[in-house]
Amino acid sequence: MTDTVLSLRKATKLYAGVPAIEDVDFDLRRGEIHALVGENGAGKSTLTKVMAGVVTLTSGTMMVDGADVAPRTPLEARNLGIAMVFQENSLVPTMTVAQNLFLGQEKFYNRLRGIYIAAQQFLQSLNFDVTPTATVGGLGAAKKQMVEIARAVLHKAKVIIFDEPTATLTPEEKKYFFDLVRDLKKRGVSIIFISHALEEELLLADRITVLRDGKHVVTDDAAKFDRAAIVQAMVGRDLSNTLYGAKKKTVRPAGARVLTVQNLKMAPMVKNNSLSVFAGQITGVFGLVGAGRTETFKIVSGVLKRDFFHGGEILLHDKPVRYRVPAPAVKAGIAYVTEDRKVEGFFETASIARNIYLGLLSKFPKGRMILSRRETNAAGKTWTERLKVRAIGDEAKVVELSGGNQQKVVIAKSLVQEPDLIIFDEPTRGVDVGAIVEIHELINHLADEGKAVVVISSYLEIMALSDRILVSRQGKVVEEFSAIEATEEKIMYAAIH
Amino acid sequence: MIAAVREFTNRFLGRGEATITVPSFDGALKPNQKLEAATTVLQCEAPEDLATDGRNLYVADGRRLLRLEGSVATELRSFEQPISALCALKDGGIAVALGGREVRLYPDASSSEPSVTFNDAAFNAVNALAQAGDGSLIATDGSTTCGVDDWARDLMQLNRNGRVFRLDPKARSVTPLASRLGYAFGACAHSDGVLVSESWRHRLILIRNGQTPQVVLGRLPVYPSRLSKAAGGGYWLTAFTARTQLIEFVLREPAYRRRMMAEIDPAYWVAPRLRSGFSFKEPMQGAHIKTMGVIKPWAPPRSYGLVIRLSADGNPLYSLHSRVDGINHGVVAAVEMGGDLLLIAKGPGRVLKLPLAGLAEELGA
Repeated sequence: MTDTVLSLRKATKLYAGVPAIEDVDFDLRRGEIHALVGENGAGKSTLTKVMAGVVTLTSGTMMVDGADVAPRTPLEARNLGIAMVFQENSLVPTMTVAQNLFLGQEKFYNRLRGIYIAAQQFLQSLNFDVTPTATVGGLGAAKKQMVEIARAVLHKAKVIIFDEPTATLTPEEKKYFFDLVRDLKKRGVSIIFISHALEEELLLADRITVLRDGKHVVTDDAAKFDRAAIVQAMVGRDLSNTLYGAKKKTVRPAGARVLTVQNLKMAPMVKNNSLSVFAGQITGVFGLVGAGRTETFKIVSGVLKRDFFHGGEILLHDKPVRYRVPAPAVKAGIAYVTEDRKVEGFFETASIARNIYLGLLSKFPKGRMILSRRETNAAGKTWTERLKVRAIGDEAKVVELSGGNQQKVVIAKSLVQEPDLIIFDEPTRGVDVGAIVEIHELINHLADEGKAVVVISSYLEIMALSDRILVSRQGKVVEEFSAIEATEEKIMYAAIH
Repeated sequence: MIAAVREFTNRFLGRGEATITVPSFDGALKPNQKLEAATTVLQCEAPEDLATDGRNLYVADGRRLLRLEGSVATELRSFEQPISALCALKDGGIAVALGGREVRLYPDASSSEPSVTFNDAAFNAVNALAQAGDGSLIATDGSTTCGVDDWARDLMQLNRNGRVFRLDPKARSVTPLASRLGYAFGACAHSDGVLVSESWRHRLILIRNGQTPQVVLGRLPVYPSRLSKAAGGGYWLTAFTARTQLIEFVLREPAYRRRMMAEIDPAYWVAPRLRSGFSFKEPMQGAHIKTMGVIKPWAPPRSYGLVIRLSADGNPLYSLHSRVDGINHGVVAAVEMGGDLLLIAKGPGRVLKLPLAGLAEELGA
C-alpha cells in the first residue's frame, strides 16, 4: 500500500470547451490534512467534485490506493472511501440525527430504537456531543457539521473533503471543529480542506496546494508558507496588506444621519437595539453568530417584522418607517445584500442580466412590472462590466458562476436600485481574496460617493473597511469604536463579554 | 373619531406617538469622560452663563457679574435680580438679561448705567442672548408661563410657548421672530438666519425672516441649550441633560404628571435635573441603582453633562461628556477662548476649562 491515498494526473475538466481545471497533478497522503487554496474560479470546487464523483474528468487519470478509478456518481466515490462535506450541508432537516446518519442504508425492516442506539454508540465513539433523537433542523451549524462528519466516518471514508466548513461557525465552534479534524487525522483519515480563511489553513494543514485559473501553482508543506506567500501564489501579486493590513489612519467624517434605530425589539433575537447610520461613512457591525445583527437589519429592510407590541422605532432620514415587506424599503432607498446568497440572493437558473434587472424591477420603475429584454441586457452588461463579473458568456446562468462572481451579481442586483442606504451582510463570506479586494473597493467607493453603508461581518475585515465599528452582543449594540481606536482584542472582548 | 381610535391603538401597541424610545448616543455623540478631565477654574454658587469678547471672560453668577482671569474672579458689578443670560458685544459693551424679564445693554462691563433697557411686557424667561451680524440682539425666551428657574414645570406641562425676539438697540424695538417653540434656550447668528435650540423638541432649528423654521439637527438624545460660535467655523452646543425612557414615559402620562406636580416637591419629580445622586428621595431610574454607595455607571442618568461640537452646517463632529458617574453635569454654557473651551457645569456650580488642542483628532472628528 502506497503512502499516497488519492492522486490525480493531468486532470482536465472542460465546461462548454472552457477549462475549469487543466493538467492538474494532485497527491493526497494518508492521514494528512491538505488545504486547497485558490481564488473563486481557480478550480478548487471542480477538483474536489471530480474526486467526489459529482463531475467526471474530460481527460487525465485519478487513482485511489494506486488503482485507476473514475467515479461517476457520489455513491461510487463513497464506495471508494471518498466523502465530501458540502458548504451547504446535505442533511435532511426534518429527520433526526440518527435517521440522517443511516440515510440510504435502510433495511427492509427498520427498528427505530436500534438506529438510535447504534447512532448513540457511534457518536460517542467519535466523542461528538450530539443527541441522536434531535431533529437536524433544530441544530446549530457546528452540530450539523458534526453529523455530516459522522456520516462520512460511518461510511468508512478514508478521504473526507470539506468545502468551506468554517464559514458559518462561531469562533468557539471553529476551535471545536479543528479538534475534530485533528482527531480524524489521528484515525488515519486524509482530509482535503477548502477555506478562504488563510489563517485556518496555516493553522490546520500539513500541506497546502495553491490553484490559480484552473492550473496547479504550488504544493508544499504548510510550514513553508505564510499568509503573504499564499496570497501571492493565489493571485500572482501581494494583497495581504490590502486585506488585513495596517489599521486605518483616517476615517471619513459622518454626514447626515440616514438611519436611526431606537429600542428595536424582535424576540428573542433583537433586544432593545439602538444605533445610527450616517451618510458618507462605512458603519461596520461586528458580532458573533446569534448577536442579532442580521435580524436588526432585516427588520430595517422589511424582510422581518419587529415585535407587534412596543417593537421600537426605525427612522429613515428622521422620519418613522415600518416596512412589512421589502418592496417599500427598496423604494425608500434601502438595499440589503443578503448573507445567504444561494437561498435569498438570486434566481440561480436565470441569467446574470435577468437577475440584475430583477433588482431594478423590484423598485417598479415607472410603475412597470414587465421585463424588457433590451433593458435587461443593457443593465446586465453595464453592471457586469462595472463589477467585473467573470462569466463564460453573456447568457451564463448565475449557478454556473464562482462564489465571488455570484456575490458580485447579488451586489449589482442591489446597486441597480440606486439606494441611499446599502446594507452588506457578510459580503465576503465564501469569497476568494481577489474578489474580496474588489468588493472592498466597491464598498469604499460607495461610501466616498456619500452613501450610507453598513457592513455586517464576523470577520476582522471589518477593521480594514469600517469608519466606525458597532459591536453587537445578545441582540443589541453594546460598544462603538472608531476605526482608529479599534483593535482586534477590543472588538472580540466587547463581542464576547 | 378616527384620531381617537388611532390614539387608542397606538397606546395599546406602543406605536406612533406612544412609542417610548430614546435615540442612542452614538456616532459623534459617543460617550467619553472628557468633561470629567476638565480643570475647574472657578467654583461658584449659581453660575448661569458665560460670555467673551475674545480678551475677557465674563461669568454670570447669581446676581453678580464676574470677570475671570486665570482662576481669579473679579466682581465687576451686582444686580438686583439674578442674571439669566449674558452676551459680550462687538463694541466692547455687554448685554445682560435679569430674572428673565428685562434685558440691559451696558457700554462696558463696569458702566453703572445701561445704555439701553428692554423690559417688554412679553418677556418672561429670557435665557440666552446672542449678537447678530447687524448689531441687533437675539433673545430666546423659554416660556410665557414658567420662570427661568421653573423650566422643569414647563417641561412637565408640555408647554410649547417659547419665543425668539430680535432686540434692536438703535430703534429700541423688540420684534418677535418665532413663537410656539418647545422651550427656546440658546441662539446664535447663522448666515442669514438664527440657529435656535428647542429643548423640549430636542432639536436645533434655523429661523429666517418670514420663513417656516427649518430643522437643522433633530432627534437629539439630549435637551439642547445654549449655543456659541466655535473658532474655525461651526458651533458649540451645550446640553443640560440627557433624555431617558422613564422621563419620556412620564411625559406621556398626563394624570401622573398632574398629581406629581401637585403633591411632590419639585426637587424629587421624575424630571431631568442638573445634578442628582444627593438624596435617597430622588426617583429611581431604570437601572439607576446605588449599590454599596456607588451609582452603577451604566445607569441612565437623571443628570448629565454634554457639549457637542457642530460643523458650520450643523452636523455633530464630536462631543464631550460627563457621564452618570461623573460630577460635571448640567452644562448650560460653553465658549471658546484662546484655544480653550470654557464651560459652566451648573450642577456642581463650576466653571471648567478644557484645552482643545488635539481633541478633535483624538475623538476621531
